Amino acid sequence: MLDARVWFLWAVTTLVTASSTRSPLYIVVLLLITTVVGAAREAEGSRRAPLSPLRFATIAVPLSALFNGLTVHFGDTVLFHLPDWLPLLGGAVTLEALAFGALNGLTLTVIFSAFSVFNQATPVRDLIKLTPRAFHEGGVVLSIALTFIPQTTRSLQRIREAQAVRGHRIRGIRDWLPIVVPLLVSGLERAMGLAEAMVARGYGAVSGEEQPLRTQGLLVAGLLTLVAGWLAYLFRAAWRVPAMGAIALGAAIIGVTMWQTGRAVRHTVYRAREWTVGDTLVVLGCVVTLAVTLTHRDAFYYSPYPRLTLPPFHPLIGLALLGLLMPAMLPPAKKEAKRERSREENT
Amino acid sequence: MVYQTAISSTGCDSDMLDNSSISFRDLTYTYPGSPDPALSNVTLDIAVGEFVLVAGPSGAGKSTLLRCLNGLVPHFTGGTVSGNLSVGKLKPLEQGPQMLSPTVGFVFQDPESQFVVDRVEDEIAFALENAAVPPTEMRLRVEEVLHLMDLAALRDRQLDTLSGGEKQKVAIAAALALRPRILALDEPTSQLDPQSAEDVLQALVRLNQDLGLTIVLAEHRLERVLPYVDRLIYLSPDDESVLSGSPRQVLRQIELNPPLVALGKALGWEPLPLTVKEGRRHAAQVQAATDPSLPSSRERHRTRGSSRWSGERRRPDTRDPQFLVQDLHFAYNGKSILRGVDLQIAPGELVALMGRNGSGKTTLLRCVVGLLEPRKGKIKMEGKSLVGRRTAEISQDVGYLPQDPGDLLFADSVREELIVTLRNHDLLDHPPVTPEDLLTRLGLETLERSYPRDLSAGQRQRVALGAVTVTKPGLLLLDEPTRGLDYQAKRELVRLLREWQTDGASILLVTHDVELVAQAADRVALLSQGQIIADAAPELLSTSPLFAPQVARLFPGTGWLTVDEALEGLDTQRDRN
Repeated sequence: MLDARVWFLWAVTTLVTASSTRSPLYIVVLLLITTVVGAAREAEGSRRAPLSPLRFATIAVPLSALFNGLTVHFGDTVLFHLPDWLPLLGGAVTLEALAFGALNGLTLTVIFSAFSVFNQATPVRDLIKLTPRAFHEGGVVLSIALTFIPQTTRSLQRIREAQAVRGHRIRGIRDWLPIVVPLLVSGLERAMGLAEAMVARGYGAVSGEEQPLRTQGLLVAGLLTLVAGWLAYLFRAAWRVPAMGAIALGAAIIGVTMWQTGRAVRHTVYRAREWTVGDTLVVLGCVVTLAVTLTHRDAFYYSPYPRLTLPPFHPLIGLALLGLLMPAMLPPAKKEAKRERSREENT
Repeated sequence: MVYQTAISSTGCDSDMLDNSSISFRDLTYTYPGSPDPALSNVTLDIAVGEFVLVAGPSGAGKSTLLRCLNGLVPHFTGGTVSGNLSVGKLKPLEQGPQMLSPTVGFVFQDPESQFVVDRVEDEIAFALENAAVPPTEMRLRVEEVLHLMDLAALRDRQLDTLSGGEKQKVAIAAALALRPRILALDEPTSQLDPQSAEDVLQALVRLNQDLGLTIVLAEHRLERVLPYVDRLIYLSPDDESVLSGSPRQVLRQIELNPPLVALGKALGWEPLPLTVKEGRRHAAQVQAATDPSLPSSRERHRTRGSSRWSGERRRPDTRDPQFLVQDLHFAYNGKSILRGVDLQIAPGELVALMGRNGSGKTTLLRCVVGLLEPRKGKIKMEGKSLVGRRTAEISQDVGYLPQDPGDLLFADSVREELIVTLRNHDLLDHPPVTPEDLLTRLGLETLERSYPRDLSAGQRQRVALGAVTVTKPGLLLLDEPTRGLDYQAKRELVRLLREWQTDGASILLVTHDVELVAQAADRVALLSQGQIIADAAPELLSTSPLFAPQVARLFPGTGWLTVDEALEGLDTQRDRN
């Protein structure tokens, strides 16, 4: 199992790369890579994504193509015209606009797929650890929100079925009431139950101390310095240098204060994870992909406007993208864990 | 014992550990906005190391009493409180749950609602991480509770892949991680099948007997817990009395008894038996005076059709079934769930469908109402196929009550819930049964303006029943209808089912509750791995080690399943002799 920070780097690299191109060839390669990595993690027993990337694509691609096709009236291949009196929609509907919309939908699918894999592969506990110590409680809230999503999806399904067995059909907005009300009430009940359970297990008992006045004062001072510097930078060209100094000072005050606050948070970590060769390999793969993406921006460029053409494909870029495939090439975590355990037993 | 030595090695206040007895003095608590107190002048003591069962009907204040122990009441709920409560040297009412968490562990009814993270080991460590316990100490404690609760093999598992019983054991393990000396559990087995419930109870017995943990447990199904407890506390909602004492002392003074105790009281057995093993000694003496050639009570039921309150049991009329399932197959993600199920129900017949969790019982019901599409097979109601029809259409003829009645309820009043169903089916102008009549039958006429979600578990379930039966369906499907219900509510449910049967409705009841099946079912079908492996009269239960009710275990071979049948059978035998 990889470190949560490594997974985060992998997801961000995929996001940056996918955002850097509209070439359907590169986007499809990225989609294949995230699908393979996701399948490999699922085979290891990671939790399933609530919505598969394929299902996401069936919604995102047509919607995006339709929206772009109807609102962007640019491109040489005109399919048909909508009446000009229609606000926003009136004008030529072109093949290029539809294609660009579809490519945007595919890009969104790649990003969704990458973050689905990140969510699948990272245990909730590790997500809490990703947050800075000063924001530990925020991290816990985020992790609870993540575990709430699948629970709420299951609840929604159950309630829809329960309402269907009393003859309920959705014909208008009002018909959602029998589903929304129990969903909200059960969600609130679950939230209250969880809060009770956490308090009963001592949550907040050691971190419930109030922030000292000095910390609050420093945070306010840092924020004011930063905002003042930013305003000065915007409105007075002559003050740019001292303004940048003020921004840096404000940011430093906030950073140091947060670091000190984080140190004061009393929290320990059960079984800290050790860095592995796998982590290093995945980081290297991401670095290669990221470096090529940032240094070869022109090679990534493709636009279907003004006339749809075949997209280019550079073998070097294709090879660089394969760096993101590294998580799927590592040995499965279970085997790794078994090996680790037998090593522990031998020693 | 690792657990004990580890406690002393961490330098805990040994004085506090030794003296964590519980003492309530004139405790009165009222929830915000409620006119009546939930607890009135409660005075009682619980000694260190006792296994205590808190019993009483729904709404009697069992959960409130438990929540007082760690200060969730009043710190989490608000409300007014008077009197005193001490746990050792601690004062929960003043200090609150966070201060009490190292001393009082708390386990809730639904294990899923208390999980914060997604893996077994992480969930157990969560409280320790937040208590800033050093990592080496933390590993020791996690190992301890994993082994104590027999969860070591599941340490890496995702929580949502565990069975109900395993989840509840993880919840208990998570509560034990802080090494409390008292464990309070609010109906921890109410959501579990009998085998899983037994596993959880055995784990609690081990904690109590081996480690000396004080266990305070609220539970409706007394028969499950009575064999293990030292003390029974009975809360009554009607008067302000709290009965506390040995189980036998308290059971003599209350009416809601499990079958074994009810029989023992009726026959004047002394000492009152709490376990089937104890009961067998008395039963053997009674049986010594019986004539084995006499007909069994069940046989006489068939010929005379009499019973004290469970009503006449019917023989299935298989020639003309009202409801028929034939060779039904269903698969999910390539895995066969139902593999050729055959079942039929005659008009007015109540069939109980039993089987372990995951055997396919709920899947069968969902196929019948069209929520799932079977791969193969027939489902017919009064000769017409239900396969391929829409759920909304089927539900006019087939009433389906899912496991959680809360999923059905959303309207502002009890009456409105019934109106909504009629409106859904376009039956508002000519309802098959008027909401007023149905509410009277359900015993809800005085609550027709109440907000459904504010009602007790039993009342809520009756509202949900009303919402699915206001179309007067010919077939009623009930999925685990007695979960969380007390004996009174269960008795009320059986009465209602009998009335529907008399009106000609067929009923398919999915349940783990063997005592309910013994009282209400005309026939029992056992489902295992997607196949009906037995389909026979309820006597079938008496020979099953897993499903036999208490009376059948007491008098094996007689075919008696309920207290009334046993009393009647014994009366007859006595008369003959």
